[in-house]
Amino acid sequence: MALRVPLTHVRGKTLLGSPAVRKASQHQVLRISAADEAQVQKVKELEDLEHLQLDFWRGPGQPGSPIDVRVPFPSIQAVKAFLEAHGLGYTIMIEDVQSLLDEEQEQMFAFQARSRSTDTFNYATYHTLEEIYGFMDLLVAEHPQLVSKLQIGNTYEGRPIYVLKFSTGGNNRPAIWIDTGIHSREWVTQASGVWFAKKITQDYGQDLTLTAILDSMDIFLEIVTNPDGFAFTHSKNRMWRKTRSLTPGSSCVGVDPNRNWDAGFGMPGASSNPCTDTYRGKFANSEVEVKSIVDFVKSHGNIKAFVSIHSYSQLLLYPYGYKAEPAPNRDELDQLAKSAVTALASLYGTKFKYGSIIKTIYQASGSTIDWTYSQGIKYSFTFELRDTGRYGFLLPASQIVPTAQETWLALRTIMEYTLNHPY
Amino acid sequence: MPGSSCVIGCGLETRKEEPPFSQHCFPQPLWLLLILTYLIERLMMCRDMPAVNEWISFAPCGCSNPRASCRGRTTQPEEVGSMPGTELLNSKPRIVNPKKECQVDLVFTTDRYNPEEGEERLGKCSARVFFRNQKPRPAINVTCTRLIEKNKRQQEDYLLYKHMKQLKTPLDVVSIPDSHGHIDPSLRPIWDLAFLGGSYVMWEKTTQFLHYYMAQLSSVNQWKTNDDAIDFDYTVLLHEFSTQEIIPCRIHLVWYPGKPLKVKYHCQELQTPEASGTEEGSAVAPTELNNF
Repeated sequence: MALRVPLTHVRGKTLLGSPAVRKASQHQVLRISAADEAQVQKVKELEDLEHLQLDFWRGPGQPGSPIDVRVPFPSIQAVKAFLEAHGLGYTIMIEDVQSLLDEEQEQMFAFQARSRSTDTFNYATYHTLEEIYGFMDLLVAEHPQLVSKLQIGNTYEGRPIYVLKFSTGGNNRPAIWIDTGIHSREWVTQASGVWFAKKITQDYGQDLTLTAILDSMDIFLEIVTNPDGFAFTHSKNRMWRKTRSLTPGSSCVGVDPNRNWDAGFGMPGASSNPCTDTYRGKFANSEVEVKSIVDFVKSHGNIKAFVSIHSYSQLLLYPYGYKAEPAPNRDELDQLAKSAVTALASLYGTKFKYGSIIKTIYQASGSTIDWTYSQGIKYSFTFELRDTGRYGFLLPASQIVPTAQETWLALRTIMEYTLNHPY
Repeated sequence: MPGSSCVIGCGLETRKEEPPFSQHCFPQPLWLLLILTYLIERLMMCRDMPAVNEWISFAPCGCSNPRASCRGRTTQPEEVGSMPGTELLNSKPRIVNPKKECQVDLVFTTDRYNPEEGEERLGKCSARVFFRNQKPRPAINVTCTRLIEKNKRQQEDYLLYKHMKQLKTPLDVVSIPDSHGHIDPSLRPIWDLAFLGGSYVMWEKTTQFLHYYMAQLSSVNQWKTNDDAIDFDYTVLLHEFSTQEIIPCRIHLVWYPGKPLKVKYHCQELQTPEASGTEEGSAVAPTELNNF
């Protein structure tokens, strides 16, 4: 029984690029181990037998170095007999080349389809930064009357920071803010943000509630709130949480963007050690990713609800995180949270707990919604999406759409409430 | 059917579902480890709170700041996503000595680790978890009834063991689940066994203030089955609350059904502020371990 090797493990070799591969049914790829020089020589002998039509992906070299060869079906028996007769160990890397080819073809098609429109975009898989930025441009192009893209700044490493604005007109209407991906490893959040964006364009004019909301208010959606961190989770470290800023005097990188806001900054609930994942930064708003939002919120001046989305734990939280004293409109927030999680649970039964940050999870200082609340944004919430720890950050892609769907119901509840309770 | 009880530290047996409670101690019953992880995750942390009046009302969860962790939560059963097959029915904290000790009583149900569609909840358990002096490794006393009977358990254990012996050496494997949360079905038993060892480590590290989830099996260093036992050397990443740190732990476990599980481990320490060497502070893969 051979181990199926995932396509990505076939190093550097795109099967479609192989000229000889027309019909690769039942062709196998073998990995041969040649223990000494004599054995390497034997494999070279095999190479010389042209009638076998062997295709060496990794040719014989030093003893101990693996030798990979694609063997057409008619030659398989002969090759294996040869290897066994000469004591050459081998494993079957790829049992059936054709099925891998088919898979790869599919992926290539999917890739091409993805880039054509937001209707063929695959919402049920995780995407790269480039793909998400591409999606944004597609959405704007498809709905120019409703959606526009704003750049609110640049990251530490120089990437643009984009926010999508959904508006049916007016001038600086009261607005709702939603952000996802402030902690880069929380991949289900950026993926949900993409889904929300599409959902808004689909539901405007179709769903009464959403239409009523957009007829009086604007929605701002920042899908990748920490682009540097997000890129890093793809390239180097899937578990990266913070920004990628350098801290003078330390070899450690990054600041926790959810401890960097100017609310209770410096108090218990964040770390002063740059090497930790809850490092608050040298001062509040030191992170450009945070400062950009702060500047935007202040200059807009009319944001009425602010929702920051994280994962995981299945929680809906309101201020405060840095102190135990209840927020002035705590009862109202609690009621609203309860309605929101009830709406969320109505779809798939997913249970969320709710409450203030400090009482529901732990003390956290310098957090986003403590600051937005202090700016007078009465309806400030933080979500922690699926799951409760079984997969954690590595939530299977198959759960992206259900997660986004149920979360949307909660968001809608909050947005509708905000619409109906102007202040 | 009378229940059996076990103070934590009793011999390992099954993996597939609830284990028996054998009386010889150390290390843990397989299943107990899984349960423990759940228990510990679900306990609200016992913390000191500044204002005395916060202690006034007891809610059915954690020791310190009882209202806090339990706000919005009732005594209704809740789905435990992290711990398949368990369902919390009730928990009553009792602050013994607020600054030093924390005791939590829990009642919950269990079922098979990989339940079939529509299968009912099986075991019913009650547990008392006791943290002393803010130290890790809480004492745990668990009693269960209605577990699967011993013979069937042993049978299933042995089947699993045989299946594992036939697996090809997964040394090529990195990261289970992968970045997209996918676990290849053929590699699932490896993850399960890794999780078992991981849950033991998590129990040993849990305090009133810190609890863990197993984020990922990040590498398989060795998988030997040529002797009778399964000899498994691997690295997991633990996600630590409330620090949010990702902690690599190298674990070496040896399993033979019917015999106690042997677990040795070493978790990487966090870097000091001005540390040189590796340049990131989180989720660094461990390098050579000196004293493993």
